[in-house]
Amino acid sequence: MSEKEKSGFFQAIKEFIYGVAAHDSTRFALKTRASMEHLFILITMGDMLGVPILPPYYSLRLLPYVVPQITTWKRRMLREKDLTDALA
Amino acid sequence: MNSVFVLILGFIVAFIGYRVYAKYIDSKVMKADPKKATPAVMYMDGVEFMPTSKNILFGYQFKSIAGAAPIIGPIIAIQWGWLPALIWILAGALFIGWVQDYSSAMIAMRGDGASMGGLSHKLISPKARIILLSFIYFYLLLIAGAFGNVVVSTAISLKASPMAWLLLTIAGVLAGQMIYRWKKDIILTTVVTVLIALGGIWLGTIAPSDSIIGQDLANSRPLWAVVAFVFCYFAAVLPIWRFALPINYVASYIVFLGLLFGIVGIFVLHPDFTLPAYTDFTIKIGPLWPIMFVTIACGAISGWHSIVSTSGTARQLENELDARPVGGGVMFVEMMLALFALIIAGTIYAAPAEYAAAIAMGPGAVFAAGVSKFLGALGMPADLGRSYGSVMMIVLAITIMQLVIRFMRISTSELLGDISPIFKNAHVGTIIASILGITIVLTGWWQYLWVLFGGANQLMASLALMLVVAYLMSQGKSYAWAFYPMIFMFITTIAALLYTSYSLLMKVASGAVKGEALIGNTLMGVVGFFLVIAAIILGIEGIKAFNRYKKLRPQTKSSAA
Repeated sequence: MSEKEKSGFFQAIKEFIYGVAAHDSTRFALKTRASMEHLFILITMGDMLGVPILPPYYSLRLLPYVVPQITTWKRRMLREKDLTDALA
Repeated sequence: MNSVFVLILGFIVAFIGYRVYAKYIDSKVMKADPKKATPAVMYMDGVEFMPTSKNILFGYQFKSIAGAAPIIGPIIAIQWGWLPALIWILAGALFIGWVQDYSSAMIAMRGDGASMGGLSHKLISPKARIILLSFIYFYLLLIAGAFGNVVVSTAISLKASPMAWLLLTIAGVLAGQMIYRWKKDIILTTVVTVLIALGGIWLGTIAPSDSIIGQDLANSRPLWAVVAFVFCYFAAVLPIWRFALPINYVASYIVFLGLLFGIVGIFVLHPDFTLPAYTDFTIKIGPLWPIMFVTIACGAISGWHSIVSTSGTARQLENELDARPVGGGVMFVEMMLALFALIIAGTIYAAPAEYAAAIAMGPGAVFAAGVSKFLGALGMPADLGRSYGSVMMIVLAITIMQLVIRFMRISTSELLGDISPIFKNAHVGTIIASILGITIVLTGWWQYLWVLFGGANQLMASLALMLVVAYLMSQGKSYAWAFYPMIFMFITTIAALLYTSYSLLMKVASGAVKGEALIGNTLMGVVGFFLVIAAIILGIEGIKAFNRYKKLRPQTKSSAA
């Protein structure tokens, strides 16, 4: 087994153990953070989705910080959801 | 037959299934395209849709599907003899199991990452989605009941397990605190908490439950049922990082190490099967067909896998080619787990009477005895091995239970929230689910409950296969490889559910059962019939959809070879 193959093998084992033990925790941590952030963005930038919120001064102040997340936020907010999404 | 031969047979089936059959379907029928953008790539939101390495997803899928079921099923099914169980595990995984796991991930990927509800709405009909959701609720209730029963019987029959379970819970909560609050290093956290959990396994042997709370309480089914569901209650209402996830994290090491060394122990001892290869066509829980085919669920085929494949895995696959190793490959690993359980049940008892005495105490006792024997081959003392096996069994069952109760809470809120706002309350939904679960655990005979759970689980699998067939027809692809497994599973599981529900309700009608058993039999019988009716309506909706696709694409008829 070459050095490259060896490191590839150990990397695969490492990833497998991470998948078994911690991947779910990471996903839930991300989900929790995303839910909080998305709610915050909805409150401040809801007009981007057509939610009639008066454009306040603070939205404009926050806009530069929110810009990198707008695309993924819109995807999540506008995606059709189903009860069975929550199963895994 | 020697147990090592069974393992080798398993490896051969897995090799043929994965390298030949699955590869052919993946490349020639589904035409997996590495250049096609998957939902994880197209709709990447950094949360649910996230391109993830296939190695990580392999571990994730394995952890999500490998609960107690692949272990308990073969332990019970060996009552018909080990040969029918062995044949069903191998043939089921080879012709049906991986087909369902892999193809449900594929259709979810090709359906923009939609989960089972969305897929049934799109591929079958809007009505099918509503029925599927109510079906899933009762299916989950049966999971909670069947697994709750395993936890209760294990806690009673193995007195070391409650202490080990308690310490594992403490270790898990500590892990959550160390990682998320104290921001401690993950390796340090893992070492400390896994050592505490291992210490609990040892402590269980010197402080068994009957020496602490007395014989009466240690043998009380209501007590352990309430404890199990209180555990699930915390898992359902507390923030997930605080309780459920860190406990699962610590538990995964305990289970993983136990399985790994257990399999090594089989190779070291390489025992022969001591129980008969075949006993009788009809035993106490029913005839071999259809009952055995639902008793062994997860090791051969399981509807739960399609839920994980569609709701979780399909949204993370970064390449269509990864669906085969993750969806199909993990199913064959699960098949090996079922063979491990079959070897345990078939080799550790000298005579059928010994097995009968052990299984009367529940499958946890059989599993723990097996783990003890095979870890003993590597030098672990017998009582410590039994304690280890018992906590493995509890952990495998309760990790799925807590997920199920959590989902039942969400379902109650979604399905009944419009009737009254009280159902939207997290505590109300959890309490409803827990009361239903406790009632089933305390009143139903566990072997019937297991068969009903298996029936619902396999029916879920045939419904997932129905979605696969609908997809294949809609695309004009060859569908026979999913269609015949679907027909077999549909007929078998409907027959099993009808047989079991009829047996249960006949006992009620004839006055053969009284008291608690009367409630249990009635409840389980009614749930069983409800599942059958829901499945038949779904089947009719499925046939309508198939006809619709046939009319739309007449060429599919000729390609159904």
